[in-house]
Amino acid sequence: MDNASAAMPVKPPTKPMYGATAGLTVSGLQLGSRAATDAKVQATDNNDAALVDAIRRGDAGSREALYHRFKRRVYALAVRIVGPVDAEEVAQEAFIRIFRGLTKFRGDAALATWIYRLAVNAALSHRTRRATAAQPEAPDEVDTQVSAEPVHGDAVLRARIERALARLPVGYRTVIVLHDVEGLEHEEVARILGCHVGTSKSQLHKARARLREMLTADGITPAALENG
Amino acid sequence: MACKTYTTERLSAFVDGELAPAEAAVVRTHAASCAACTAALADLRALVKNARALDVPEPPPTLWPSIEGALDRRERFGWLTLSNWKPFAVGAMAGAVAVVLVVFALPLLRARPETPVASAPPETPSAAPADPLLNEAEAEFAQAAAAYERSIAKLRTLLEREEARWSPQERGRMAERLARLDEAIASSRELARRTPGDSAGNEQLFAAYQQKIAFLAAAVHRGGEAGDWDKRGARGP
Repeated sequence: MDNASAAMPVKPPTKPMYGATAGLTVSGLQLGSRAATDAKVQATDNNDAALVDAIRRGDAGSREALYHRFKRRVYALAVRIVGPVDAEEVAQEAFIRIFRGLTKFRGDAALATWIYRLAVNAALSHRTRRATAAQPEAPDEVDTQVSAEPVHGDAVLRARIERALARLPVGYRTVIVLHDVEGLEHEEVARILGCHVGTSKSQLHKARARLREMLTADGITPAALENG
Repeated sequence: MACKTYTTERLSAFVDGELAPAEAAVVRTHAASCAACTAALADLRALVKNARALDVPEPPPTLWPSIEGALDRRERFGWLTLSNWKPFAVGAMAGAVAVVLVVFALPLLRARPETPVASAPPETPSAAPADPLLNEAEAEFAQAAAAYERSIAKLRTLLEREEARWSPQERGRMAERLARLDEAIASSRELARRTPGDSAGNEQLFAAYQQKIAFLAAAVHRGGEAGDWDKRGARGP
């Protein structure tokens, strides 16, 4: 794991961690300070290494802890790539691949990047299987998890972005989900998708352009909605 | 109205700070006097900011039990999978051919045509286990299986109400997944039937039942949400 952190800088999480992660972070850190963030990333790497070691030793509790650490990210990725109907099946498949592959995980990449790669592969191969079995696919339905009709600008815009994302071609969608939604760096996205960094960047810019085009066609001006 | 000088893709690269300083300065100067670029840049920044703030959906509570069950089954029955036998496949095939030859071919070669072959007695079904404890265990397994079946039937009824609101494609996928789960149950049941008194077969059967119950429970739970979302989507602007 140390090798992994030296080989590729790990971006600090842009979203709060959930579940068991809360118990694994370093206490007393103040968010916002650069040093504190670096310390937190280092602590996360150390925790990852300890967790992987414990799982390799057959500790079932650690297996569950790893699940809780990544469950929301893996599930969210599945929801956004394959839609809510098949998301659970894909997340299950992804975690089975993760736990089966953990014995072979050498730490060449950060644990999170490696997990994302397996989750993306599970989602994309699921789509391929579906595509061979079904007719031209309908846009995925994305459950926005919004309990009521959004009432202010940002919430409306996010709901619209979710719906537009579901209509994007899957290649564009995957890149934009990994980079803009999950907050990964292009180096990580490229590693996950097995492409060049330049490809990841160009795909992202095309994806954003298409997303804006789709929203505009729906009569949505993102900046105006955000300010409204 | 689109700008003829800069594409949205190029402006997106500018937003991410990927342009060389000289080109970035030109874009900045241009955008100050171009309404289309100003609007595009504002839209892109709003998209990026709000994409990062999208909700992270909570997975259904049934996800971990289903993963754990699948991992346990793989650990217990993983040795049965084809990939584990690949290194031995050639030897195993050769061994199997040899056994077939010995068991079937040699007696045929030795058989004399003039010798009348006595008809074999009709095969009798395997006798029920004589051990009372074994009988008791089998009865309990049967009761447990019946309880699982009842739970599945109840969940199926609940799901039928949700399914009425689904698209034909969703209903098709659901039927496909249920068929796969039913296949797993049927094959596990067959394994349990062939190995009376061996708890492994019944455990596999119960794990298959549990997987179907977890799946149905999740579908019932999520089905309602999907239906509500559809309605909101339909009447939204």
